[in-house]
Amino acid sequence: MAGRRAISRSVAAVIVVVVIIVAGAAAWLASRGGGGGAATTSAGTAGGAAAAPPELTGNFTKDALAIGRWLEEHGVGQVTYTVMAAGDPNSVMRMYGIVEAAEDINDLWSENGVNVKITIKTDWSPDFKKQYDNFKSKYELGENGDFFVNSYIYIAPLASQGRLLDLTPWVQKYQGYFSDFFQTLMKAGQYQGKQYGIPQDTEARPLYIRKDVARCMGWDLRGLDEKVKNGQFTWQDVYQKAKEAVEKGCADWGLIHRKGSAHPDLIQFIFAFGGKLYDPQTGKLVVDKVAIKKWFQVEYQFARDGLLPRDIMSWDWGTQIHPTIVGERKADGGDGNTLFDIGGTWYWTEWQSKKYYLDPKTGERRPLTPEEVAEKFYYTLFPAGEPGKQPVTLSQPFMWMIAANAGKENPHYNDANYRKAYQELAFLIVVKASDPEINAIHSVISAHLPVSKKAANLLKDPQWVEKLRNHQLGLHQDVLSKIADIIDKTADPINIQFLANVTYMLDYTHFAPSHPLYDKLAGIFADAVDKVIRGEMTPDQGVDYIVQKVKADPDLSANVEIIG
Amino acid sequence: MPGSRSWAPALFLSIMGFLVVAFYLLPLLLTVWASFTPIRDWRVESLGKSVGLDNYRRLFYLIRHDPDMGKVLETTVVFVSGTLLVNVVGGFLLAVAAFLLDERVSLGFRLLWLLPRMTPVAVFGLLWYYFFHGNGMFVHFLQALGLLEGPTWIGQDQRFLPWGAWFIIIFVNGLVGVSYGMIIFYSAFKSIPRDIYMAALVDGARLRDIILKIMVPLTRWHIIFVTVWQLLSLLTTYAHLYVLVEWRVVDKWYGMTWSLYVFETAFGSTVSDQALAAAAAVILIVVGIGLGLATLRIMGFERELKPVRGDI
Amino acid sequence: MMRGALSLASRLLGRRGGRLEEAPLTGRGFQAILVLALLAASLPIILSYTLLVELSFSSTLIMSPFQKTQFTLENWRLFLEGKLAPTAARIYSPAYIRSMIVNTLIVAAGVTVVVIAASAPAAYALSRLRFRFRAATLRFLILLHAFPGVALIIGVYAVYVYLYKRLFVGGLLPKEYLLLYSFAYVIVARASLEVPMSTWILKGFFDRVPWEVEWAALVDGASRLRTFWQVMLPLIKPGLAAVAIFAFMAGWEELIYVVVFLPREAPTLASFIHYQLSGGSLEASYLPVVAAAATVYLIPTILFFVFTQKLLLEAAHGGLKA
Repeated sequence: MAGRRAISRSVAAVIVVVVIIVAGAAAWLASRGGGGGAATTSAGTAGGAAAAPPELTGNFTKDALAIGRWLEEHGVGQVTYTVMAAGDPNSVMRMYGIVEAAEDINDLWSENGVNVKITIKTDWSPDFKKQYDNFKSKYELGENGDFFVNSYIYIAPLASQGRLLDLTPWVQKYQGYFSDFFQTLMKAGQYQGKQYGIPQDTEARPLYIRKDVARCMGWDLRGLDEKVKNGQFTWQDVYQKAKEAVEKGCADWGLIHRKGSAHPDLIQFIFAFGGKLYDPQTGKLVVDKVAIKKWFQVEYQFARDGLLPRDIMSWDWGTQIHPTIVGERKADGGDGNTLFDIGGTWYWTEWQSKKYYLDPKTGERRPLTPEEVAEKFYYTLFPAGEPGKQPVTLSQPFMWMIAANAGKENPHYNDANYRKAYQELAFLIVVKASDPEINAIHSVISAHLPVSKKAANLLKDPQWVEKLRNHQLGLHQDVLSKIADIIDKTADPINIQFLANVTYMLDYTHFAPSHPLYDKLAGIFADAVDKVIRGEMTPDQGVDYIVQKVKADPDLSANVEIIG
Repeated sequence: MPGSRSWAPALFLSIMGFLVVAFYLLPLLLTVWASFTPIRDWRVESLGKSVGLDNYRRLFYLIRHDPDMGKVLETTVVFVSGTLLVNVVGGFLLAVAAFLLDERVSLGFRLLWLLPRMTPVAVFGLLWYYFFHGNGMFVHFLQALGLLEGPTWIGQDQRFLPWGAWFIIIFVNGLVGVSYGMIIFYSAFKSIPRDIYMAALVDGARLRDIILKIMVPLTRWHIIFVTVWQLLSLLTTYAHLYVLVEWRVVDKWYGMTWSLYVFETAFGSTVSDQALAAAAAVILIVVGIGLGLATLRIMGFERELKPVRGDI
Repeated sequence: MMRGALSLASRLLGRRGGRLEEAPLTGRGFQAILVLALLAASLPIILSYTLLVELSFSSTLIMSPFQKTQFTLENWRLFLEGKLAPTAARIYSPAYIRSMIVNTLIVAAGVTVVVIAASAPAAYALSRLRFRFRAATLRFLILLHAFPGVALIIGVYAVYVYLYKRLFVGGLLPKEYLLLYSFAYVIVARASLEVPMSTWILKGFFDRVPWEVEWAALVDGASRLRTFWQVMLPLIKPGLAAVAIFAFMAGWEELIYVVVFLPREAPTLASFIHYQLSGGSLEASYLPVVAAAATVYLIPTILFFVFTQKLLLEAAHGGLKA
């Protein structure tokens, strides 16, 4: 009986599918007729080869109108692009910034009687590495995004494969506009002297210190940030304090940090011990054995003394890492707590938008309020590894990148002139998306740092912040509706003050090398530090492991120098 | 009608033939081809160049020098043999239990044990991510027994490696595969004439005797078949392992078998080295074909192949 | 003429179907012990599935089904609205979530159709026709099953790119058909992996149809094609249904081909869940919402279990006759 019912059901399924396929085929045939007709007419109007599109001048309004008119004259009524972006859910302006910019250009065109429309398709991945894999594997299939918004570390591999558009000539035209950008970030967008990426955001990775734990152990934090800045408070002191906190019973852990990977947070140790990762002279990556060993010794010591969980690299973000960073002592009915945390600026708003905090009073999980976050956390630079070294932070700026095949979805893409018009328009969209206002909004809702002085100034302007809170910034409705919730949660003076307070850290920032094989090397670091923390290897063995892995891989050994 | 024989087989086999050629044989040849080219990062144009045996040289160099490759080989052996044991012995015991139970109850259990095989990999991975989580049910259970203190990722923790990781990958894949043996053995038991069991019971045989003296000998062929078939499947399986490693339920290298290594090398982040992956895959293909041929022999293929009757 | 053949067949088959329920071999007490033992062994399965479903209705992130939590529909609402966490920007639209489910269905249904269309006639030929390479073909099908799927993907990718360049870059087809092409390719390529086994299973079902049935039809003057279509296929409906279910599930759960070949604008449930959990994504994922997506993803499995129990068990044989 059951069998017969299943059969009639599967028969029904088969019918549905057949209908779908037939309908699809019909639609295909129908549109093929139409498509063929359109092709002949536009070929007729173009009268052979299209004229070359206007060159960009550096005047945005003029350029946008010129391209729009050119497209209209050449029979293009609609231009479609896809943006591929990635990050935590609060960083969505990486994709909606492009949408907003395209809408702005649409408005400009319709005000000036240009009858062309830009449509943006969006694609988001919470994992930026996965999105990079997607971009790569989709590229040959013609399914990659025209805009790719991701970490600058991918510029080197993608540019060396010829998969990114060289923006140098246009950036030169817009020199005035880009001179307002922080030049270190502009530089991070270059590979072999050419500009492939326009900075979208950056961040610092502070050392967070729990004020309540410090109070419990009688440690006055005032002025600590200055001491860290001057190199007077180093990782040796961090260790002493962490130990004290645990021994006095004020904290369950001394230190918590990220799981899974070494890049970018833990790589800071290499710089903090004065080591390096890249040799600009030879263009090779560097394995600095001395600095790496010191880094491993710190982690080893912390883990052996029970100050850092031995299995931290496999802790769970949502149920272990963040709950412990914000939590209360186990003895008080919380998830456990820690004195120090190596984190990122974006944690600040993440704690306010996710239910990480287990409130011992109610036994319930809830997000923290901005006041509570400010009350709980002190923050400094990543301290120097040992006396005589400098404090650091590490930034991983995200970039707007344009694919070398941008515009591929649009008519006559194979014609070099059309192609150029689509690419110029793509660049103009990026210019517009770099608007200080869009950048500042992104900074507020995601707790990343702005990339230009103008955007940074907006954050200092209470009136602007008030407008943002009241949704009066003139964002297009479809973009606003998507981020309204998060604006309400995060557009708080406390958070904006936080961004202002950490901005100085950028003066101490380091970048991971822009090298096609850096990511692979960082993967080996991650495996090694994992083994060291877990106690599978001593720091010496950890370093040997890295050397061995590098030497076992002919690619890496040809591109990596081992020093120390 | 007489003419039908000439075209009929070709017609009936045509769709299958096309698919097998286009999506099995051709890609297979291309993969073998790719192992002699420098293709990386999916740059298909590299398929036109040749690097000779370079990729194989690289692969064997890695095996000799990379400290983790030994773990991959070790894990492959332990995983395949351990899971095989679970699938065959576990499947047999489940089938015996299901056979001895009242039909309605038995049906319920057989379905329950089939569930893992019918669950999408992504969901199945999520289930065990939580089960073996450092603070998950399995750890709670061990804590209740007094065997463990505090949250522990047993697939990662140094104290339990490598067996903690191996235990988990064998456990998860065992659950997926055990139903295959169960179902085949179950119906094999059913097909043994009932009189034989009855006679044994009347003679006062104990359950153990019935299992060892009747069920095992009479289903020997099935046991061999399930063993070889599962061996093949386990050598090539990677989806569940991929999820467990990717989500860090288990140690990266003690959770990685050879086929997962192929996949990771081709698809993993950083440099997606399809050429190296292709070389590693070719080794898998050779082993697979060898075992496949062995299966055919064991299946007593010719007996299985009933002659076509009638002369039309 | 057809009617005659059919009724003969049903009489012949009917004799096999009507088996009497048999009393179990063991006593009550032993049965109880067995059930308890099996329940204990099944506990991890039962608890894990329960936890997943419970988590999707839970107001907090729980780690075991016994943990205290409050019932809520919030996670489901968030998922269907395309929000990944209670307080986060909206990344997906409700239409995106709907299209995700529809896309998964299209792939699953497409794979089902292709598998049946390819393997039913082939199985018939292998069971009933006499031709030179019959034994070799059957042997070859088993061998194909032994080929590691992971070894194929590089080649399958190259074929896709070759066709893509031919069709779209070469200008044979306008870009609008790219989506259609990628779906068709995923469906056909993925279905091909199922075809050897399905053919083998269906051959087993054809083998069981008495030769007399077909004989009757052929003697009446029906062609092979007609016999296949009108007499044989209806007789192996349970086999077709079983193969269809497994093909459907194969398409439904497919992750690798879908992730690699479908454009990112065409997500499926598998790729969605995968991206929420893999690598760095866990950093930001709110798992109760993912649990809701996973529960949706389980629905076909649950439906098949409720409605087609015996068929599932029969098909799970994988073509092996007991």
